[in-house]
Amino acid sequence: MKNALAAEWLKLRTVRAPYGLIAAIGVMIAFGATISWLMVRDYDTSSAAEQMKFGSADASVVITPVVQFCVAALGALVATSDPRLGALTAVPDRKRLLAAKSALVATTAVVIGAVALTLSIGTSWLIMGDRPPPVAPWDSLGDVLPWAGAAVLSILVTGLTGLGLGLALRSTAVTIVVVGVLLWGLPAVTPMLPSPWNMDASGVMVPYLVWEVAGVVNDPPLGPLAAVACLFIYVVVTLGAGTVTLLRRDA
Amino acid sequence: MIEVRNLTKRYGDTTAVDGLSFTVQPGLVTGFLGPNGAGKSTTMRMVLGLDRPTGGEALVNGKRYQDLDHPLRHVGSLLDPAAVHHGRRALDHLRWIAASNGIDRKRATELLEQVGLGGVRHKRIKALSLGMKQRLGVAAALLGDPEVLMFDEPVNGLDPEGVRWIRDLMRGLAKEGRTVFVSSHLMSEMALTADHVVIVARGQLVKETPMEALTQNGSLEDAYLELTSGRGL
Ligand SMILES: Nc1ncnc2c1ncn2[C@@H]1O[C@H](COP(=O)(O)OP(=O)(O)O)[C@@H](O)[C@H]1O
Ligand SMILES: [Mg+2]
Repeated sequence: MKNALAAEWLKLRTVRAPYGLIAAIGVMIAFGATISWLMVRDYDTSSAAEQMKFGSADASVVITPVVQFCVAALGALVATSDPRLGALTAVPDRKRLLAAKSALVATTAVVIGAVALTLSIGTSWLIMGDRPPPVAPWDSLGDVLPWAGAAVLSILVTGLTGLGLGLALRSTAVTIVVVGVLLWGLPAVTPMLPSPWNMDASGVMVPYLVWEVAGVVNDPPLGPLAAVACLFIYVVVTLGAGTVTLLRRDA
Repeated sequence: MIEVRNLTKRYGDTTAVDGLSFTVQPGLVTGFLGPNGAGKSTTMRMVLGLDRPTGGEALVNGKRYQDLDHPLRHVGSLLDPAAVHHGRRALDHLRWIAASNGIDRKRATELLEQVGLGGVRHKRIKALSLGMKQRLGVAAALLGDPEVLMFDEPVNGLDPEGVRWIRDLMRGLAKEGRTVFVSSHLMSEMALTADHVVIVARGQLVKETPMEALTQNGSLEDAYLELTSGRGL
């Protein structure tokens, strides 16, 4: 297992795509920080009444979906851009190969997620300074941690989902489209369903699950634990499908 | 040693390999000969555990490939030189393979030198010529210093110099006492390389024989065509 993991790590860091994805996240964080700064500047020159109408200037809220998508794409690449002939000749024990790929994606996802969240929350914090709500959504670190933790958890989940879908679908393009539909397409559509399905369906979409896990929404369809369980189901279903494909089908 | 016992592979209605049995001995180059579509690649894929047999089994040194500890230290193979990530650099390609089987990473540099790719080790694979990719594939196969080697149509698309290189390499490996199993659809090529031949057509064994026995009466080409006639595609 140690060798298989070392090999997967080497494979990941000797191709270009991961660097592109990380660069995309970096650009997004810088962009988010710029938006925060512009908002705060606008806030400072507004009247007190207008200031009360401001939204949060925390950029991590818009960064998180981008990181989810990039990490899911990374998971997909770990599955699809690795020719099976070579991978399975080197590590013919398919369960071991799967374990190595899963461990790699999980670790990378958590590291990327934690760094991205720290950077974007940190810069937002610096930019907002000691301004009061609503432009600054938090008073203390204790307010931030549930949201940051939920966001990192969701990034871990989307990474493994990308890996599972990639192993099941065996095509980078198809997998990335499915990931896009799952993370962005469906959540955009579910609120249009007739009530009460709109709430039920939206409540199990990844973007809402993050809020539910963090416990920062009023009257959510799912409580934090149920939301964590729901994220877990995403992994079980997609990685399960990937596992079955890898174990059963010819290379 | 490679042992194939009653090996069968069906894809829907097509029977790619049909009750095939033979053994491949060490110290010899064994040619695996048959027309296109005879089931040679499928057989090799099953030996490597890539495709699951419909029936029978294939063993390497008495074990299934999947059950070998550090398989690349026992079996080196080159089935498809294009089945690599083309964006990776040549040396990195060998390094991950070495890492996967606990092989000293210094071997990667050594092997690249040995196959004549030392100068392009930092080039991405997509920038290499077909012949260079073939050499890289050979380097990957030799990385674990394996006693069993398997090559699927290794001279396809190579220039005469490349063909000569592969031929000398295989003869050298057999001379060192290794088991060398190489497929081809060209009798003329096998005549120059193999000590022993396993001839297949339509997934079935046609003949397993030392090379000399085939050449005794008349030309090799005639013997081959006669043996496989009506059994091709
Ligand atoms: N994945 C597959 N699905 C369906 N048929 C296949 C597959 N792989 C090989 N075949 C068929 O099996 C037969 C043997 O193919 P192959 O082993 O590639 O022959 P060879 O290597 O001797 O040319 C051919 O008829 C081929 O079309
Ligand atoms: Mg073939």
